[in-house]
Amino acid sequence: MDNQYAVLNPWAEVDPLPQHGIAPRPIDMKDKKIGLFHNDKVGAAPILSIIEAKLKEKFPTLTFSRYLRTPNISMAEMPDWLAFVEWVKGLDAVVFAIGD
Amino acid sequence: MYDAVSAEELKKPVVVLVNQSFLTDARSAASSKGWPGIRIVPETVPPECTIAERREAGISAAMNDIIAALTRPLTGEEQSPVPAKVEKLPRIVFQGSLEEVNRFYYRRGWTDGLPIIPPTEEAVREMLTGTDLPADHVVAKIIPRMGKATVEKIAVNAVMAGALPTYLPVLIAGVQAVMDPKANFGTTEVSTASWVPFWIINGPIRKDLHVNMTDGVLSPGDIANAAIGRAMGLIIKNIGGARKAIEDMGIFGNPGKYTMVAAENEEASLWEPLHVEHGFQREDSTVTVSFPTAFTLAGAFTSDANGLMRGITSAITNCAGGGITIMVQPQHARTLAEGGWTKQEIKDYVYNYARIPAYRSSGYWRNWVPGRERPALNPEDPMPTVRSSDSVRIIVTGGSGLLFMVLLPSGNRWVTKKVALPANWSSLVDKYKDIVPAHVRY
Repeated sequence: MDNQYAVLNPWAEVDPLPQHGIAPRPIDMKDKKIGLFHNDKVGAAPILSIIEAKLKEKFPTLTFSRYLRTPNISMAEMPDWLAFVEWVKGLDAVVFAIGD
Repeated sequence: MYDAVSAEELKKPVVVLVNQSFLTDARSAASSKGWPGIRIVPETVPPECTIAERREAGISAAMNDIIAALTRPLTGEEQSPVPAKVEKLPRIVFQGSLEEVNRFYYRRGWTDGLPIIPPTEEAVREMLTGTDLPADHVVAKIIPRMGKATVEKIAVNAVMAGALPTYLPVLIAGVQAVMDPKANFGTTEVSTASWVPFWIINGPIRKDLHVNMTDGVLSPGDIANAAIGRAMGLIIKNIGGARKAIEDMGIFGNPGKYTMVAAENEEASLWEPLHVEHGFQREDSTVTVSFPTAFTLAGAFTSDANGLMRGITSAITNCAGGGITIMVQPQHARTLAEGGWTKQEIKDYVYNYARIPAYRSSGYWRNWVPGRERPALNPEDPMPTVRSSDSVRIIVTGGSGLLFMVLLPSGNRWVTKKVALPANWSSLVDKYKDIVPAHVRY
């Protein structure tokens, strides 16, 4: 008969994670300012250019603002974190393109 | 994705575009931060696409979804997400034969595909003799899942990997290393580039553990080199929750993720060892993690110092990430040192001379990206392959051989942590010191 092994669980426990609801969407797109965020991967900025053009075509009063970050580092670790925060605060919504 | 979470935390509506291949990964990243409802729009533009027609087609097809994600009122679930049910597993998670245990762990996705040693209570208790820390001590929470790396969980995964208790202090320091912000582990562990945690062991512990630092240093056959890297892989997977093709999106993956461990042959080097270069004392035991993707061999042009340096620089043609670790075998290290080359001079030389024609550098061709200018260079002008002199590390390791050195494109990060030894270290080392292979002649 095979030996029997009572074995321990290798999968880690996690602390309970507060669940957050996302922000309400704009009721309409009139005169809204849309942030376009990209991470400097080669596909990201051109994708946002297409989105900007198509949104502008459909919603002519939209305005846009762009933000670029260094690839592979999250904004929270970047020295310009406060600038990012100020940028986000000035927007009505943000589209993120990460190039992948 | 974490930047999108940051924007939602600032109460701004967010839409994230991802290639459809990354949808599961993006959802996992959002959920791991407590934002399961972030609106993610999958699209079909190939990653990092430079073909205008395919970008246009992919985004056009997704445009209605993008507009809907920007404007559609929130559902109740999006406003108040219900916490996902977390499976509560018992500490003793299974009982069965060796084969049944292995099948159970494999089906749960807890292995690396190879058989594991059953982490029984007895085996884990023995593993825990490798530290003075209490079993419930949380060394770190490992991203992306933020799983609690208790000493016991580290020990369980270490047993599974076939590690000896004397390796446990290295594994604890390894967890501290990857969770040091300088490691940027949130990216390096899951990147499409398939970066490998490469563990370099320095200090007296190398010999205590019999970590290979000579012939075939990166080949299989040494339990320390094999089990330390393997254990860290299981820790990253089972504690951090980084699973292949779910969170770890490596395009090709990397065999180095099974294990990649080397010790520096400090005794054979006339230079200061890596950990001393990083601010530690020579008598400290340390582990350094960096994140290479691949290695290449450099043929020395001639065996004198100048020929060695020309060979090194000629081989560095594609240094992904901008940094590089040069593994120099002891004879070449002596030739270089006796020829007057310091580590710093080698670094400077590599930066200045490991260059390629501009037309062979991706940086030269990115001028079409908005905001980027093409460097003011002719196509044949040299461009550096290494980011700076400080993006080069040199370690002395490996066996004998006239012509070759191994180079490892290594991202641009090296994080070194001191290994804390338990009070009973000497007796522990004595207990396991005879576990070495004794090959027969044939």
